[in-house]
Amino acid sequence: MLIEQSAYANRWRHVAPAAKALFALGGLIAAFAARTPFAAVILALFICVITLAGARVTVRRYLRVAAPALFFLTISSLSLAFSLSVNNGVQTLPFHLTPEGMQKMSEVSARSLGALAALLFLVLTTPIVDLIALLRRLKIPEALLEIMVLCYRMLFVFSEAVHDTLTAQSARLGYATSRLALRSLGGLAANLTVQVWQRAHDLHVAAQARNNDGPLRFIEATFANTSRDVAIAAAGGSALLALTVALS
Amino acid sequence: MTLLELEQVNFRYPDGGIGLDGCSLAIQRGSRNALIGANGSGKTTLFQHCNGLLKPQSGVLRYAGAELDYSRSGLRQLRSKIGLVFQNPDRQLFSANVQEDVSFGPINLGLDDATVRRRVSEALQAVGMADCADKAVHNLSFGQKKRVCIAGVLAMQPELLVLDEPMAGLDHRMRIELVAVLDGLHARGITLLLATHDIDFAYRWADRIHLMAAGSCAASLDAAELAGRGDALTSLGLPLPTVVELHRRLSAQGLLPNNSAPRTHAELLALLESTNNAKETP
Repeated sequence: MLIEQSAYANRWRHVAPAAKALFALGGLIAAFAARTPFAAVILALFICVITLAGARVTVRRYLRVAAPALFFLTISSLSLAFSLSVNNGVQTLPFHLTPEGMQKMSEVSARSLGALAALLFLVLTTPIVDLIALLRRLKIPEALLEIMVLCYRMLFVFSEAVHDTLTAQSARLGYATSRLALRSLGGLAANLTVQVWQRAHDLHVAAQARNNDGPLRFIEATFANTSRDVAIAAAGGSALLALTVALS
Repeated sequence: MTLLELEQVNFRYPDGGIGLDGCSLAIQRGSRNALIGANGSGKTTLFQHCNGLLKPQSGVLRYAGAELDYSRSGLRQLRSKIGLVFQNPDRQLFSANVQEDVSFGPINLGLDDATVRRRVSEALQAVGMADCADKAVHNLSFGQKKRVCIAGVLAMQPELLVLDEPMAGLDHRMRIELVAVLDGLHARGITLLLATHDIDFAYRWADRIHLMAAGSCAASLDAAELAGRGDALTSLGLPLPTVVELHRRLSAQGLLPNNSAPRTHAELLALLESTNNAKETP
């Protein structure tokens, strides 16, 4: 939901999604092209600053969205840094830090940081609906896009259904003890299953009522100055690439 | 002229529940119709028949004099003429974005891009949601979602708009706004049929009132004659509109002339005012 709020309420909401995606792609390529960890970290910081200062995403929100990804990144880099020694280690721990391990870890995690910053830039500035419209123009198969649209819409319908059911259960002490909680959770799952079924049926009927006979099609949003935005984004993306290559 | 007509329509659900049982009903072109009936009296089933979503097991439906054609192209034709707005907006809206959802119907009609865009903006304008075209559906209030649903059907430019309990869940102000939207549509020549539980609203708004009970239409009467047909209402357990009861009592006490028939609270008050003034200045 945080990502959602930011995507709808940032300064670059009405910049063409194609431009934002192009810039993010530039960032991704630059992250892969970075040959030293230093260059990749600088790249990540650079994109981060652009997201915060350019699109005016708040620092607090940015950090909260980035936190889970950073957590996973830390865990996985730790596992890269330590290597398991299987030789005759009698007095030593089987795990130890190796220079190669450290080297590898810093490379991989710095690159990941760069890539993460680029992706965060995209999702924090562009609503999913715009991204789906962009994918449609890029000729991604219709079926996949329909699934995306419906899943995205259903996400909100169901989070509401879950919330309502949970509230109703809690109001009648459904979660008072762990035993009751388990029971209520079962009830919630059963209730949702039936609701999924009913809602799917209702949506099908609603689609038929509006003359639908197969593919779900919608109009695309139009963006003023698309070509200008794309040109700027292309320049920005190339600049990112040039920066990392120059630094490494 | 009769726009939509049902004649002895029967429909039973697969689980044995009776949907419609010998239901006959006629909707005049350009009229405002209110359908009143208890929960489970078959209102929603009737509406789904109007749009060809359900097919009667026996009986006939006619649109503009011609029997409904349930072939693919016939249904296409029918659904472009009769728009159906469901009761729960979350079960009708399936795009995440307002204008995308409104565009769904017109695109299904096979219109070109420019026409679709024009219709979408006109429909959003008509329901007063033009400012929200770019918003995400889940960020809208219930009343706004309801209006988007209406816009989504309006964009198909129907001749008959069928609304299933449009007032349910709306607060007082939103109801007034919705009635204004409906009146605007009526002024544009769109025939309206809506289900409601509010007899007072039906009496002041509708031209014709249809009473549903146990899957059939028990009575269809002009709203103006409703006051004299209290029997039809009581037999279905429905009260008379409060304004009618009040007017009766007041005229019985000689406070109001007997020949008038106010349809709204405001009309009744105005009548009381003018009668009082007439008495004070003889």
